[in-house]
This record gives sequence, structure tokens and C-alpha cells, in this order.
Amino acid sequence: MLSDLLARLEEKDRLALARLLTLISRGEQLPEISSAIGTRNETTPVVAITGNAGVGKSTLVGKLAEYLRGEDKSVAILACDPESPLTGGALLGDRIRMPSRPDDAGLFIRSLAAASGHQAVAEHVDLMIRLLAKFGFDVILLETVGAGQGDTAVRELADVVVLLVQPESGDELQWEKAGLLEVADVVVVHKADLAGAEKTEGQVKELLSLPGSREIAVLRVSSRTGQGFEALWEAVMAAPRRGTTLDGRQLLRLAQQLLADRYRSRGAAAGPIIDRWKAHQLDESQAAEQLLDLLVR
Amino acid sequence: MNEQAPLRIVLAKVGLDGHDRGVKVVSRALRDAGFHVIYPGLWQAPEAVVRTVGDEDADWLGISLLSGTHLTLVPRIIDLLKAAGLDHVGVLVGGIIPEADIPKLHEMGVSRVFGPGTPMTDIITYLRSEGSRTHA
Amino acid sequence: MATAMDRKLWARWQEEIEKSPPPELPATTVSGVAIDPLYTPDNLDGFDYDTELGYPGQYPYTRGVHATMHRGRLWTMRQFAGFGTARQTNERFKFLVDKGQTGLSTAFDLPTLMGLDSDDPRSLGEVGRLGVACDTIDDMRQLFDGIDIEKLSVSMTINAPAAIVMAFYLANAQDRGFDWRKMRGTIQNDTLKEFHAQNEIYFPPEPSVKLAIDVVEFCAHHVPQWNPVSVSGYHIREAGSTAVQELAFTLADGFHYIDQTLERGLDVDQFAGRLSFFFNAHNDMFEEIAKYRAARVLWADRLRNHYGAKKESSWKLRFHAQTAGCTLQDKQPEVNLIRVAYQAMAAVLGGCQSLHTNSMDETLALPSEHAVTLALRTQQVLAYETGVTNTVDPLGGSYFVETLTRQMSEEARRYFERIDELGGMLGAIDRGFFRREIADAAFAFQREFDAGHKLVVGVNAFQEKDEKPLDILQIDLAVEAEQVASLNKVKRDRSAADLSRTLDAVRRAAEAEENLLPSLIDAARARATVGETMHALADVYGRCEGAVV
Ligand SMILES: Nc1nc2c(ncn2[C@@H]2O[C@H](COP(=O)(O)OP(=O)(O)O)[C@@H](O)[C@H]2O)c(=O)[nH]1
Ligand SMILES: [Mg+2]
Repeated sequence: MLSDLLARLEEKDRLALARLLTLISRGEQLPEISSAIGTRNETTPVVAITGNAGVGKSTLVGKLAEYLRGEDKSVAILACDPESPLTGGALLGDRIRMPSRPDDAGLFIRSLAAASGHQAVAEHVDLMIRLLAKFGFDVILLETVGAGQGDTAVRELADVVVLLVQPESGDELQWEKAGLLEVADVVVVHKADLAGAEKTEGQVKELLSLPGSREIAVLRVSSRTGQGFEALWEAVMAAPRRGTTLDGRQLLRLAQQLLADRYRSRGAAAGPIIDRWKAHQLDESQAAEQLLDLLVR
Repeated sequence: MNEQAPLRIVLAKVGLDGHDRGVKVVSRALRDAGFHVIYPGLWQAPEAVVRTVGDEDADWLGISLLSGTHLTLVPRIIDLLKAAGLDHVGVLVGGIIPEADIPKLHEMGVSRVFGPGTPMTDIITYLRSEGSRTHA
Repeated sequence: MATAMDRKLWARWQEEIEKSPPPELPATTVSGVAIDPLYTPDNLDGFDYDTELGYPGQYPYTRGVHATMHRGRLWTMRQFAGFGTARQTNERFKFLVDKGQTGLSTAFDLPTLMGLDSDDPRSLGEVGRLGVACDTIDDMRQLFDGIDIEKLSVSMTINAPAAIVMAFYLANAQDRGFDWRKMRGTIQNDTLKEFHAQNEIYFPPEPSVKLAIDVVEFCAHHVPQWNPVSVSGYHIREAGSTAVQELAFTLADGFHYIDQTLERGLDVDQFAGRLSFFFNAHNDMFEEIAKYRAARVLWADRLRNHYGAKKESSWKLRFHAQTAGCTLQDKQPEVNLIRVAYQAMAAVLGGCQSLHTNSMDETLALPSEHAVTLALRTQQVLAYETGVTNTVDPLGGSYFVETLTRQMSEEARRYFERIDELGGMLGAIDRGFFRREIADAAFAFQREFDAGHKLVVGVNAFQEKDEKPLDILQIDLAVEAEQVASLNKVKRDRSAADLSRTLDAVRRAAEAEENLLPSLIDAARARATVGETMHALADVYGRCEGAVV
């Protein structure tokens, strides 16, 4: 079954690609898929688009994809929306804002549910990215659930992180300050067709001009008018690529996933450790060490 | 095999009618019942629907129509699904469908037709009992 | 209504109520508003007859916009009609006039409503299906052939391409020798509610509104008896809103049209009296009546006190009502006759100026002549047999209805504030506010229905085992081919030079932000199609694609 899918993948079978993505999203046969795909093709840029809900991430991703198609680059989009913590259900509506090009083999869109909690993207996205790169897409765009606590994960997954803000009151900008400095390689003042975009641009630049901070491009873009996409793509390509070079972090992430998967399948065995921890016979770090031992064994 | 994996369903509004009350209510109800609902928006061309179903690797496709064009559009979608190698995807139709047309839709390969006034639980129960043919 | 109450007897009633079993089903309106078992003078604290009710035909018009209301003149019985080709609809119009209908109301097919021509690939299967296909001025000429449009008032339900269709209508009327100044009628031309609910959308919100205001401005100068916008809550309600949302969003739309027209330098009294309204007549009798009464009060207050209108005609909210299509069921469809009759009664008791009663088979197909006749008869029975027209606002002073009217006005005002906070009408649209509110309400109703708290006869209660289907009107599939053939003929026969000259003029006028009606009328005479003209405008305005959730 898997070997069949992998063989079809080699032949650029889109349905095989779609099915493999499903398997990955469900955490099935990850080690097998991972070793079959091999390491990531480093030339394929992975661009994450993040920002608060409603800032226009999906719309911008869609327009950017159209721009890139115009430049003859094939594009794969992974669009994340949140999953309900209570039911595990999800309403994935990002496609509404994205182009419908049924005859265009160079555009692929997949909607993903990101587990509740503080996840900015769906689980196992790193492997999905490797899969899409292997399939041969020229650019991979990743839409996050929203800006916030999962941002560091996004930073590790993507080569370039684009943060969207929109013309708003100064207060909200303050709220984004931490995120701005930490995650973004490019900041887009989106909806530049609305009043106040220039002012917001100025505010962002000011925030970013603190001594010692990195060089970060700030630009105005409007998905409604189409303004700024060429400049945006230039800025993305000019941004220093993040170290997705093989520095061990990738391995660490894989190891973390393996542990999580093992915990899921062998969780029952951890019962006694958990009980002793609850009964205060073990402190937190002791319990964690023992759990690790158990899972590694 | 992960038994808990949520079913993925694409809900598509095809044709020109913009009445999305029904499809939105169903989307929410299915989400609340633990499904992953992919909603690509209004005015979907048959070709676009099939592309979405394929890329999203959906288990089910729900087609919503209220303008009476079901006998034109549903067969086109089903033919395109077949041509794309997606005949394992279960097809539901929701909307105002005259009694006499329901057997015709079944014959084309539609699994179920849900008319107005269908309790959400009917749809949920049906999908749960059918499960996934994609990931059988 | 400070009537003294006998507190001892009141206490006794309260005791009895506490002892008796609670209602079988939650006592809430269709919109989910909790209703008390009894309303008394206590509910109307501080009620002042003169300021809150007054007299019919006088500010604040709670009791109606005319002194004598339906006792003096009945509402206009206006049945919406249209299907197939212009020739077929023209026949239906003549049939309805023959049966005693007093106004004409035109339904266009989906391609026309969406600004597409009959030969557009997206139109496949939809041409002439839910209304009449109208591609060019030739179709408009055929549609009203032999009908005296100076005598009959004509309504046209169209929105995104409203300015173009209005241009067809005006050009055709002039060519036939009718006087624009004498013509009466309404064009729906309410683009905002398309963004809230109905989704017949072509351009982004801003240019859409601009185009709508062009019609308002042009009519104010040249077609003074025409209602250039029918501000519509009907579709908002059909999309699942509550009664209060319907009320509040519709009025807020109306305010936005006024603001935009004032920007053109018109005086409010030059056009406000020609803005008309279109509301839903849903199942919950008293909630509906309170909604219409509150609408009049809110509008009059705003026009007089905020916009400073001086003419009383500017203060008056006149409305058309249509019974709620979303309440019609395909199970036991004859039962729809009964629903429609009660809904129509609510509209009349609420003081409507015109009314469309749905046909019982409308969920299944276009109405048959038999069903249309019964729907019209429903109105005639109401008008001539029930006695509801004998006195004005018979429910005025009802503790219940007055309390509901007050409540709805207050809640609507809260919505107006919310909309302002979100940056006004366009800001709130951009943030998806209206859509979210409406979808939440629709979902809430569905849950009540699924839980069995709301019963629908024949659907989740009192079902019938073996139902025999109604005879329904079959659409002739040849219509599409016929329409496309005649469109092709027009395209062959017209002058290509005139076409490109007039469409260029349309583009230039749009770029210059001029009123588009004069150039649209020229393009209509050059036999430009709806689709071609929309395209020309989109070159300037852009398209609104995928922006709909
Ligand atoms: N004015 C304006 N509105 C935009 C623009 N891009 C997106 N929007 C609107 O912003 C809202 C949210 O867009 P969406 O892409 O769904 O945002 P997301 O939640 O960040 O993915 C929608 O109503 C869009 O129509 C833009 O460039 N200008
Ligand atoms: Mg999004």
C-alpha cells in the first residue's frame, strides 16, 4: 500500500500526494514515509504567512500564489485552521479566499486542522513540506492559524516568516511587538488600500529600529488592489534564509515526534509512573526522567 | 491505523445560487460532531469541486444546490470524479430536490439526498455509519 | 398606559401561574426571544401615548404611515413573477393583471442577477429557470410589450446589475413614448444586503454602493416617482437572521444609502421619501408586527432628528412585505397555504403598503398558475372577508405588542452602535460582522429545531406517511437554447462600432466617477448585453471574488 503510493508519487500522481499528506496528518507510518522521502530539498523556499485572524492571510496567500504562477513557479499551499478542542472537528475555510484553478497542475492547496492548544500549524507539517518539495513544487506557502504562541515552531519550519499586520490602532500594535521582533523576517502592512496603512508602516518601522535588532523589511501590500506583490516576493527572496540547514534541530524535532507517538501507543505502561507522581512519591523531573526511560527502551 | 481520524468532507455550493444558509448550518453541525469540513465557498464550478476533493483527499463530497440545476450539475460532477479516479468518494446532495428526481440522482451514484428540514443528526448518523470508503 | 392595577387580583394570578405546569415547549419567538405569560400595564412603564404612538399618518408613525391606512386604500397585491423568456413572462404578467393584480413584480433569472449573459458557460442550466432571462434591451422591450407602464407600477428585483437593467427600462420606456416623470415603480438596487446575506455580488462593496447611489441620484432628478432602492431585510431574514437583526441591519443599510447620497450634494428631502423598504413576513405573528412598527419609529426618528429632514414624506417608512420563503416546506405542501395566510395577516396588521404571498409549491418549483391564483386569493380573502381593514392598527395599545415594539427598537439601536464601533457599514462588512451574526442565528434555530423545541408541522411533527406529490410546473429546457439563439441574433445585428464606443464611454464615466446612468442608457440603446456592460465596469471597479464566507 505505502510502497504503491510512494511509487505513484515518483510518477507525479497528485492523488498519491494527497493520500500521503493524509497519512502524515494522521501520524501514520511516519518513519517509513520519512525515510522514503529523504532529506529536504534545500532549494525550495518555504514561506510561512502568519498574523492575527482576519488580517488577510488566506487572501494574501492566494494572491501571492497567483503572482508566483505568473512567474511560472509552481506553488503548494498548506493552510491551517484550528481544530475544536472539544470535538476534534474543524471548519476549514481558507480555500474560500484562494484562487480556484482546476486546470492548473502548478497549484496545490491542502487545508489542515491544527490541534487545539498553542499550535500555530498542524502536526507533522515538516514532513509534509519535505513531501511537497520532493514532489517538485517550486515554492511552499504555509498559512498559520494565527499569530501567537506557536510562532517559534513556525520559525523552525519555514525559511522565511512573513508577518501580516493591518492598519489599526496603536494599541494593538504594541501587543504584537514581541511577535514582531521574534518571528518575522518580513513584515507586511496588509490591506494597504485602507486608510492608515502608512501610519502603521511608520509605527512598525519604529518598533523594529531598536538597536541591535535584525534587518527586517517592512512593506505595504493590498490583496484587494494587487499592490506590492512583486516587492513582497523580492523581500522574501532577499531575506536571509533561516538555518533549516541540517543543524540537529530537525532531528530533535523528529525525535520529539517519535516520543509523542510512542507515548500515544504505549501510554498505558506509563500509568504506574503517573500514579507515583500524583501521589507525590516522585517529583516532576524525576517522573519525566522515568517516562523518558520507559519510552526510549 | 488510526481509528479516531476524523472524516474529511468537502461541502460545495455549485451553480449560481447564493443561498448558503443550509450549507453553513451543516458545516457547523458537522464540525461540532467532530468532522473536518472543507468549505471552498460559493459558485464552485464542477471542475473546481473535483479538484478540491482530490487535493484534499476527502472521504465525502456534499453538494448543495437550491436553484433546481441538480440534473445538469450533479451528473457532470460525478463524471468528472470518475475521470479523476475519485469514484471512491461518497457523494451527498443537499437542497430542494423534487421527489421524482431522487431516484435519478441515486442512479447516477449519489449515496443520499437530504432535503430541507433534515435534522442534522440524520446527516451525522449517516456519515458515521458509512465511515470512509477512501480509507477503508 | 398608566392604568391602575388591582394588586390583590394580580398576586392571585401570579400564584396560579406558579402552580400551573410550565409550557410544553419553550415560550420563545421564532427568533428565540423569551415571552412572558402575560403583559400588563407594568410592562409599559412611563408609556406616553402621544410620543410613542400618536396618530396614523403622523410622527412617529407607529400606527402607520397613512391616516386611514387600509380602510382608505388597500395595500397593493403584487405577486412576483418571471420565468423563461421575456415573451413567456410577458404572458404571465398579462394573466396576473387579468386576475385583478394591481402591480407587476419582475423576477430575473440567476445569470441576469449575477450579471452574466445567457451564453456564459456559468449560466448553463440556469437560464430562465428561476426568473426571466434578460440579456439586452430587446428582452426588456418584449417583457413589457403591450403593458401600460405609466398606469401600472412595476417592480424589478435586481441588485448587482441594477443600474444596467434600470438603463434598459428607461431607454425602452422613452423609446415607447412614456414619460419618465409619470412612471411609478421600484428597483430593488440594494447592494448592501447582498454582502450580508444574498450573495449576488460582482464588484467590491464600495463601487457597488457607488453604482446604487447613481440610480438614486438619477431618479431624484429625472424619474421622481420611482423608488430607486428597496432596502431589503427579506433576504437577511431568509439567510437565518432573527427579527431584530433583520430590522437593524436593514435600517443601517438605509442610513448608509442616505449618507452616500448626501455626499452627492442632494438635500435629504430630495430623495429620502423615495427610499422604500422590503421586509419578510415570518411565522411569529406578534414579533413580526412589532418589527414593522419599530421600523417606522426608528426610521422617522433618524430622518427627522439626525438627518434633519423637513418633509413628512421623508420620515415615513413605506414597505413591501413578502411571506417567508424559508418557512415553506416540501412536506405536505398544501399546509404552506395556511402558513402564508397567517404571515400575510401579520404583514397587513403591521401596516404594509404592498404584499407578495408565496405560492404553496414554491419550494419545489416555480409556482403553477393554480398555486399563484390561490396565493392571490389569500390576500383577497384577507382584504375583503376578515375585517382586518376596518380599523387602523387594531393591535395598538396591546400591552404585549407595545412592549415588543419597544424591545425591538432598543435592541436595534444597540446594533446601530455596534456597527458604528466596527467602523460603520463598510468596516463591519469587511470584518464579516453581519454574516457572522446571521450564521450564528441560523445555527441557533437549527439546534432548537433538532432538539424538538421548535416544531414544524409535517416535518418534525404531524408527519404524513404517504404523501402525494403536487403537480408542479416543468421548465421547458428549450428556453435556454431559445434565449441564447436570440442573444446571438442581437449580437449579429447590432453595430459593433456603436457598441465599443458606448462601452468605452461607460468605462470613462466610471473612471471619472460620474453618474453612470446617461452612459448606461446609451450602451443599452447600442444593445450592449448585461454581461458586456458589467465587464466594462469591472475594468474600472475590479471584481469581488471569493470574498464571501
Ligand atoms: N480592504 C482589504 N480587505 C482585505 C484584503 N485582504 C483580505 N481582506 C479582507 O479581510 C478579511 C479576512 O481575510 P482572510 O484572508 O480570511 O484572513 P485570515 O483570517 O487572516 O486568513 C476578509 O473579509 C477579506 O475580504 C485587502 O487587501 N484589503
Ligand atoms: Mg485564513
